[in-house]
Amino acid sequence: MSAQACPKTAQQIDAEAAEWAARMDRGPLEPDQEKLFLAWLGEDRRCMGAYGRMRAIALTSERARALGPDFDPADFIAAPTFPRRRMLQWGGAIAAMLVIGAGGAWQVLRQRGRFATGKGETKVVALKDGSVVTLNTASAIQVNYGDAMRAVELLQGEALFDVAKDTTRPFVVTAGDTNVRAVGTSFTVRRLETAPVEVLVREGVVEVSKPATGAAPVRVEANSMAVAQESDSGAIAAKPIPPAQLHRQLAWQTGQIAFEGETLAQAAAEFARYSDTRIVIDDPALAQEEIAGLFNATDPVGFAKTIAISLNARASIGEGEVRLAR
Amino acid sequence: MTGVSDERAIWLGRHVLPHEPQLRAWLRRRNLGGLEIDDVIQETYTRLCQAENVAHIQDARTYAFQVAGSVVIDHLRRMKVVPISSVPGMDYLEVGSEEPSPERQVIDRDELIRLAAMIARLPGKIRDVFTLRRVYGLSQREVAAKLGLAESTVEKHMAKGFLIMSEFYGHGGNAPAQPSSSRPDQPAKMER
Repeated sequence: MSAQACPKTAQQIDAEAAEWAARMDRGPLEPDQEKLFLAWLGEDRRCMGAYGRMRAIALTSERARALGPDFDPADFIAAPTFPRRRMLQWGGAIAAMLVIGAGGAWQVLRQRGRFATGKGETKVVALKDGSVVTLNTASAIQVNYGDAMRAVELLQGEALFDVAKDTTRPFVVTAGDTNVRAVGTSFTVRRLETAPVEVLVREGVVEVSKPATGAAPVRVEANSMAVAQESDSGAIAAKPIPPAQLHRQLAWQTGQIAFEGETLAQAAAEFARYSDTRIVIDDPALAQEEIAGLFNATDPVGFAKTIAISLNARASIGEGEVRLAR
Repeated sequence: MTGVSDERAIWLGRHVLPHEPQLRAWLRRRNLGGLEIDDVIQETYTRLCQAENVAHIQDARTYAFQVAGSVVIDHLRRMKVVPISSVPGMDYLEVGSEEPSPERQVIDRDELIRLAAMIARLPGKIRDVFTLRRVYGLSQREVAAKLGLAESTVEKHMAKGFLIMSEFYGHGGNAPAQPSSSRPDQPAKMER
């Protein structure tokens, strides 16, 4: 984005885009106007998007013809009967009410489906209730929305859940024998074969439980992490974590892995989650070196080369692997 | 010649615009590296305008989220100290995970009611102009004649109308209220 080259604010651009959309609504452009328009589009990368958006609004609003000549604006100015917060949920209160009127709430309120990522992929899944799930590498979820509960099963891997608030339908993530229950919040659940289930809460509060043990759920607050041990006791331990660590642990969202003080061996294991190209460390001392930095999760070779420079090592690239040695 | 084809604009209006409040809510929770949400939204639309073909995109909402995400990622990458060589492209995007469903019709009607409510919420003169132009389908010239306004004034009112509506779309919180629940006949009336 050329924000520095062009001092225009997004708001200015939107206002200009609306003027162009209104001009276009009047009729085709004269040749000299077209030149001005193209020049304007070229001023900033954002101009085309802003114009495309306004034009979308202009053309979408043509559907108002369907309202017919009996249209009376007064019919549509009712005091909001839902609190403002509810209005923020697009397609929430309004859609639900209308669908109930149409004879079946289940159509909008239910959603089922399976979503998965391969190694090195991340994926964003926008669910119909406004919740958004971001899947990390080699992960899979099964969505089972029902009338009383928004159930999601984490089949494997790791996912970030940004949950739209709906007090009537709790959002419950199941990972093996562990349940994580939320109303409206943001948290990740990690289910790897080699480690206990981990829950990282970014906003709000969740309840983590192991129903089979009969123990009371453990409340986990924002900026905390819970680890659900696989032992028979089913102990769930929650502890606060510093914001910096929270951010590092969520770096995968943007396709990155962050390290701060992990050993090179641990980093290699982390990269193995994202790529089939293995990082092999031939030198035990080198494997224990601590590293820091932000790296592209799907580029173990780039990581190895970068880290080789800072650790005074050598990276050699072979078939399906990259070897680090001194 | 317009830089954005009508076909693409209609596609945006149908498949992306309705999800914008969710998209903004999602962006609000992200580290945008100093970008404003409006910047990201505009850049996202730019990329959606520039995409060569959108016909194959079955799940436009997820696609829009992905594009917005990559706008942010590209920006963040430019800020980072550690050089990052390969930027994952859009090719990892899986499309078609949300098939169109029977609720499509319901949602369309819902959108029509929302559109009606938006028009109703426009300020006085702008609403009159907008109603004649959009509900009655008069040209801007005819609207000007009917209301005794200059054509350029009608155009200005339309521009203001689009801008206000874009705020409705962008910020669900300012969206107009639904028709009162004491009017159970309202949805049926909308079906025409």
